[in-house]
Amino acid sequence: MLDLFPSREASPFGRRQKRERGSRIPVSVVTGFLGAGKTTLIRRFLGSPEGAGTAVIVNEFGAVGIDDALIRDSADETMLLGNGCVCCITRTDLQVVLRRLVFDRERGTVPRFARVVIETSGLADPAPILQTFSTDRALGGEFHIDVVLAVVDAVNGETELASAPEARKQVILADRLVISKTDLAAPNAAEQLAALLQSLNPHAAIDIAVAGALDPNRIIEPAMREPTGFVAEAQHESEHGDGITSFVMADDKPVDWPVFARAMETLIALRGPDLLRVKGLLNVKGCSGPVVVQYVQHLTHPPVELQTWPDANRNSRVVFITRGVAERDVRNLFAAVRALAKT
Amino acid sequence: MSADKSPLSNGYQPVTWNFKLLAHDMLGGFGGMGEGMSVQIAPDGRRIIWLAHESAPKNFTAVDVSDPRKPKVVCQTDLPHANMRSNSLETTGNIMAVAYQTSKKDLQPAGFELFDISKPENPKSIGFFDCSGPHSRGVHQLWFCDSEYVHCASGSRDFTPTNPLDDQFYRCVDVRNPSKPVEVGRWWMPGTRQGDNVMPPARHPIDKGFRAHNTNVYPQRGDRCYLAYIDGGMFVLDISDKANPKKISHWTNSPPYTGFMHTIVPLFDRGLMLVTDESTENNAKDWPKLIWVLDARDETNLVSIATCPLPDPKVYAEAGRFGAHNIHENVPLPTAWHSDQIVLGTFFNGGLRAYDISNPYQPKEVGIFMPPAPPGAPTGTIQMNDVFADERGIVYAVDRHVGGLYILEMDF
Repeated sequence: MLDLFPSREASPFGRRQKRERGSRIPVSVVTGFLGAGKTTLIRRFLGSPEGAGTAVIVNEFGAVGIDDALIRDSADETMLLGNGCVCCITRTDLQVVLRRLVFDRERGTVPRFARVVIETSGLADPAPILQTFSTDRALGGEFHIDVVLAVVDAVNGETELASAPEARKQVILADRLVISKTDLAAPNAAEQLAALLQSLNPHAAIDIAVAGALDPNRIIEPAMREPTGFVAEAQHESEHGDGITSFVMADDKPVDWPVFARAMETLIALRGPDLLRVKGLLNVKGCSGPVVVQYVQHLTHPPVELQTWPDANRNSRVVFITRGVAERDVRNLFAAVRALAKT
Repeated sequence: MSADKSPLSNGYQPVTWNFKLLAHDMLGGFGGMGEGMSVQIAPDGRRIIWLAHESAPKNFTAVDVSDPRKPKVVCQTDLPHANMRSNSLETTGNIMAVAYQTSKKDLQPAGFELFDISKPENPKSIGFFDCSGPHSRGVHQLWFCDSEYVHCASGSRDFTPTNPLDDQFYRCVDVRNPSKPVEVGRWWMPGTRQGDNVMPPARHPIDKGFRAHNTNVYPQRGDRCYLAYIDGGMFVLDISDKANPKKISHWTNSPPYTGFMHTIVPLFDRGLMLVTDESTENNAKDWPKLIWVLDARDETNLVSIATCPLPDPKVYAEAGRFGAHNIHENVPLPTAWHSDQIVLGTFFNGGLRAYDISNPYQPKEVGIFMPPAPPGAPTGTIQMNDVFADERGIVYAVDRHVGGLYILEMDF
C-alpha cells in the first residue's frame, strides 16, 4: 500500500497514532481469583460517571460462575444496565460475543457503548484472552486491551497465591494490581500482600480498594501511561515462581526494525508458548515516534507508531514475561541477529 | 429491542466517538451555516474563524477561537435582502472573498465581494465582482487561497445555459487589484451553453443541474483545477493558460448513482483523490451519497477504488438529509490542517465522521460526532453541513439550520 500510495505523514507502520489503541474500542480486563471482589469493583465503576457507556462481559468460559449471579437479573444473555451500560454473560466464545456487540452497536440495538470491561472467571488464565485481542483476524481490528487488572483479596490473597498457580499467573500478567477487602483484613495484611505482589510483578502499579471503592479512572487508564508499567527502566531478571521470569531489555541506540522483527520471529518459532507477554516501546531508526510492540505467546500485535513519546526517555524498552526463557539467551539471540544482519 | 429499531425513531441519539467537544456556539440564534469556513490570524494575533451562512438574513459571522474552549462572536453582518445567500467564503491573509448567490435570475448583488478583514470587528468592502445577468444567480462557491485569483462557480451576463439549471460554470478572476477584479478565463461543460456544437447532456432522474460546484486549485499543481460539476461528475482541468482551460479528464458515478458531485480533494503525495457527493433529498431518497476514493496516479484515467463506509441508511432515513456533503479540503493556507491519512466529512444527520485512509482500499471510520438535535432543529436532528480543521488540529463543524458552530478535538 505504501509503495503504491506513499505518504510523508505515514511510517512503515502506517498512520502515526495518537495513542496505542488508535480508534479502537478500549478494553479493560479484570481478573482475580474467586471471591476477590471483581464484581463489586465493576459495579462501583458502572455507577460512576466514568463508567457510563460501558459494555460488561462476564466471561464464564464454561465454568460455573458465582460472581455473575450478582450482576444477572434476567435470563437474557444481554442486559441493559442503565447509565448507557450493557452486560453480556458469555459461556462460549468471547470473540462471538464481542463481534455481536459491535454489530448491535452499529445497528443501534444496544447503547453505543464507549468501552468494554471483561470480568474473567476466577479460575481463568488471562493469556487466552490476551491472545484473542492480538491480531486483526481475531478482535484486534476493533478492540484494544488498554489494561489488565488483577484484583487480589487482602484477607485470602496470600494463601491463594501460595496454593493456586492460576492466581499467580493472573498477578504476573497484569498491568495493574488492586488489593481489595482491606477493611476486612488484619492491620498489616495489605502491606504484606503488596510486598508479595511486588515481588511477583514488579512492573505493575498497586492500588488499594476500600469496600470496593477505587478511583474509577484506574479501571480504564491505559497501562501504557503507568510509570511503573511497560515503560519501566531496565531492571534485573525476576523469578516469580512456576518457572516464570520477567526482565526488561533496554537500548539507548535506535533499533533496526528488521533486526528486532527477525529476532522476535526466531524467538517465537523456538519458544512461542513460553513468551507469556512481551510488550514495550522501540526507538526505531527512521521513525519519529515510539513504536509499540506486543506479543502474546506466538501471536504478534501489529506494531503501532505513536505520534509522540510518553516522556523524555527515548530509549527502547521491552518487558519480557516468559516461562523458562532466560534473559541472557534472549540478549544473545538479539546480538547474534544484529551481528549477522551487518554482514 | 428489535433488530430494526432505529435510534432516531426512539428519539435522536447522539454519538460522540473519538472526538472531544470543546465548545458549542449557537452564534446568537443565527446558527444556520453554509459551506464557507476559513481561519485568519488577525494582525493583533487573534485567531478568527469566518463562517458563511446558509441563508438570509445573515451574511457572515466571525468568531474568535484563539481559545477553542471559549469561542466569541466578534462580527456578524446582514445581507442586503432576503432573496440571496452568501453560502461560500475564503480568506487569504487579511482579505476575504464572499460569494453572493441570488434566489432568482437577474437579481443583484450576484457575484462576489472582497473585504479587508484586518480589523475583524469591522470588515471593509474593497471590491465587488458582478456576475448578475438575465440567466445568472451569481456565485455559489469560490476558492481564494493565493491572494491573486478567485476560482468560482458562477453565472455570467453573457452566458445563456441550454437548461436553466446549468447556469453556473468555472470562472477564474484576477483580484490582484481588489478594486477592479477582472475575469481571466472560464470553462463550461460542453453542451450546457446555448450555441455549443454538442448536444446538451441527458438529465438525471433527480435533476439538479450540470453546473460547477467546487473549484479547487492547489499550489502543488497550480496548473490544475479540480472541478466538481454536480450532475456532470468531475473534471480535471489544465489551467496553465488561465485564459484557455482545457479538460484533462472526466469521471462520474452517475448514472447509476444520482448525481450532485460536490468536492474534489487531490492528495498529491499519494496519487489519490477524494470526491464527494452531496445528499440533497430528505429521508435518504438519494442514497447512497458517498465520499469516493480515486486512484489518481494517472490523472487521465481516474479509477474508483473505495468509498468511505456509512451506516445502514434505514436508521437515518427518518428525518432530514443523510449522506455525504463537505469534507476538509486541505486548503493550502498555513492556518489549515493538512492530512492525506484522515478524511473529515459532514453527513447531515449522520453528523461529522472521520476516516482513516492509510489503506485507501479500505477506509475505516475512526470518529463520529452526532450531537443532540440543536434547539429548534426543523428536522429534529443535527444536519451537519461543513467542516474545517485548523493547523492545530482543532476541528470546526457547522449545522445547516440552527446549531451554529461545534469546536472539537480529534481523539484518534
